[in-house]
Amino acid sequence: MRALVTGGSAGLGQALCARLLADGFHVTNLDRDLPDQASTAEYVRCDLSSRDAVDKALMTLTSSDGFDLVIFNAGISATGKFEEISTSSHARIIAVNAEAPISLCAGLMKAGKIDNGARVGFVSSLSHFTGYPGAASYAASKDALAVYAKAVRKVWQKQLGIKVTVVFPGPLKTDHAARHAPDGADAEKRMAPNDAAKLILRDIKRGKAHSMPGVAARIFAFLGQIAPKVMTFAMKKLIYSKLDKTVAD
Amino acid sequence: MRRKILITGGSSGIGLALANRLSARHDVMVTGSRDRSKITEVFSPNLIYVQASQSDPKAAVKIIAEALLKAGWVKLDNVVLNAGTGFAVKNAIDDVERVRQTIDINSTATILLSRTLYPWLAKAEGTLTIVGSVAHKGQALFPVYAASKGALHGFVRALRSEWRGRVAVQILHPGPTKTDMHAKAGHDAGRLHSIFINPSSMAAMMEYAMSSKRSPLSLSFLKYYLGGSIMGKSL
Repeated sequence: MRALVTGGSAGLGQALCARLLADGFHVTNLDRDLPDQASTAEYVRCDLSSRDAVDKALMTLTSSDGFDLVIFNAGISATGKFEEISTSSHARIIAVNAEAPISLCAGLMKAGKIDNGARVGFVSSLSHFTGYPGAASYAASKDALAVYAKAVRKVWQKQLGIKVTVVFPGPLKTDHAARHAPDGADAEKRMAPNDAAKLILRDIKRGKAHSMPGVAARIFAFLGQIAPKVMTFAMKKLIYSKLDKTVAD
Repeated sequence: MRRKILITGGSSGIGLALANRLSARHDVMVTGSRDRSKITEVFSPNLIYVQASQSDPKAAVKIIAEALLKAGWVKLDNVVLNAGTGFAVKNAIDDVERVRQTIDINSTATILLSRTLYPWLAKAEGTLTIVGSVAHKGQALFPVYAASKGALHGFVRALRSEWRGRVAVQILHPGPTKTDMHAKAGHDAGRLHSIFINPSSMAAMMEYAMSSKRSPLSLSFLKYYLGGSIMGKSL
């Protein structure tokens, strides 16, 4: 069994790789940076903000056997006042979080390298349900993934038996979340990446349309669906009004 | 009040219909990817035309900002980010180059323009109108187009909240309209095309939606048959 995980060098991606390796998968980790911890996963270096790098990675990935499980997990963010974040940062976020995973997925599909009956997961964000003032371009990029997954799911399932899952994680106990949370936010309330990875993999393997790791994520998603405007207002109070700096990565 | 209005994707379709409609009462600048001489549709002589292809988002932003400065426009009462493209695909599998082109034109350029035009909008306490699509929730025939419009939906949701009290931000989701968008996308809507909404009626619904500043608004058949193109407040 062969798995591909993007952004597998740290955070949630690293936890997903570790679990897949333990399950006996041959794992390929596509990342800009070397893994934080030693791992037996195959490492393919790729900066997803570069189209040339994505094209090269596609050539590498399509020159070997197809995948049974693919998770598009890599992502970056920029938080702060929209108009104070540079246009380059906004463009990078859309390139890395939306354009690259959709290009990789389309390229692998076109080459027939996502096998019939495979599972594909897109890591979106709980912001799809809540809105995310203070990270407008990040929210945009994650919504693009959620909508893309929804658009292709039925056709791919019917034609190829490929099941597509969208993952909507809330804040996790990762360096990424810590960098983008307002000062004084309680990191202990965030879910550990290992626990999230376990729930996410279970849902992806089952081929569920949505995966919302944790009770808190489900509650937020539910509230966001029944009262979207109230939820976005709450997010503004909780996050945007407390951001006193601009952070781009 | 005579307004200063910028409309992207104004060399054809809905954008041009809206520009022509507003040009009688307001100062309107339109952008498009085509050379001015290639525009064969009715094009009001009052319109200022700027050629700026959004396939290169950063270049388009620069050209548009320079055009505003050159025209001596120091504020914008309305900005309508309407430019868009899309491609119909088989089995929901896109070509990588088209993924990039669609996201560049529809999502990235729109986000970068919103960022760059902020000072102009803030000065007028204006309204930023972003054109989405009824496909923004997902459409197997146009997966990347749907994704690029879904991105704009979430973008507006966040930005509307951020800019509340400074600049009104709204997203409009037009339904199928009788433009050449479907033909360009490589999709033949067949006999359905005849029931699509006229661009001029769509432009009327858009003007009323802009003046209401509400968001998100779906401008499709239901609204149309309820009189959405004849009842509303002008800008």
